[in-house]
Amino acid sequence: MSTKLEGMPAEIVGAELEKGSVSLDLEASLYPLEAVYGAAYVFIDRCYVVLDKPEEGKLRVTLAWKKGETSEEALRLLAGEFANELLSCAWRDQITRENKAVIESVTLQAIGGAMGPPSLDELASFDFTEEPFEDPLGIAISWEEKYKKTKAPEGPGEAEAQPASGSASQTLGEVPAEAPEPTGSAAEPHGEPAPAAVAETDR
Amino acid sequence: MTELRFHRDLYQGESVDEALQVYAAYGELARAEEERYWVVRVTGKTAERERRLCRELANYALGLTIRGRTAE
Repeated sequence: MSTKLEGMPAEIVGAELEKGSVSLDLEASLYPLEAVYGAAYVFIDRCYVVLDKPEEGKLRVTLAWKKGETSEEALRLLAGEFANELLSCAWRDQITRENKAVIESVTLQAIGGAMGPPSLDELASFDFTEEPFEDPLGIAISWEEKYKKTKAPEGPGEAEAQPASGSASQTLGEVPAEAPEPTGSAAEPHGEPAPAAVAETDR
Repeated sequence: MTELRFHRDLYQGESVDEALQVYAAYGELARAEEERYWVVRVTGKTAERERRLCRELANYALGLTIRGRTAE
């Protein structure tokens, strides 16, 4: 005879105290079979689990503790824990279904990346005529466009107008007779070394 | 004698067969088939032993079924 467990809906959970088992009647539309299997597998090491399909669209899970606890409290705990695990499995199952395309895409990319760079033959046969991807913010810029060479200045006056900083080779021929001790900085060859260079030699 | 009924939509026949092979040494196991169920009749030396054999066999068949479905 089925006994109602305190705190559990009687239409879903019923215990058979003399057998030490508790049954949960589930709607298959709410809890997919994969989720029921997942939850059952989690409990299979500490419980005896039996599944049944009493009618179409319904699933019945019967659980009993392996260690033989048959008290009402122990069965209530078992039913509650299983229901929680079942809900978790159902939720994970739904997330997996919703993200199936993304998961497959990422996995394919990872496998494709692990296969290494394309060969010259593959590059030769690659179709470069495809339209570029959409760039609504206009932030994409090609390498050629970003790093294209500017024309070199043509006249001698233009060459003198170039700034002297950032290149040690521009000042190599202008070292005075009484040059200071080399400090390791080629950027300041005249007079006192720059404070930054002094700081470096002090170290 | 205890009759175990495994719904065909929930248990794989191969899994039930394999469980029967594993637990054949622990009792008398007879297999039968119904339209919607795999039926196993279990007879143990004692009532307690029979009850435990039924539960272990059912667990084993379920575990194999779940593993089999995951591998598919």
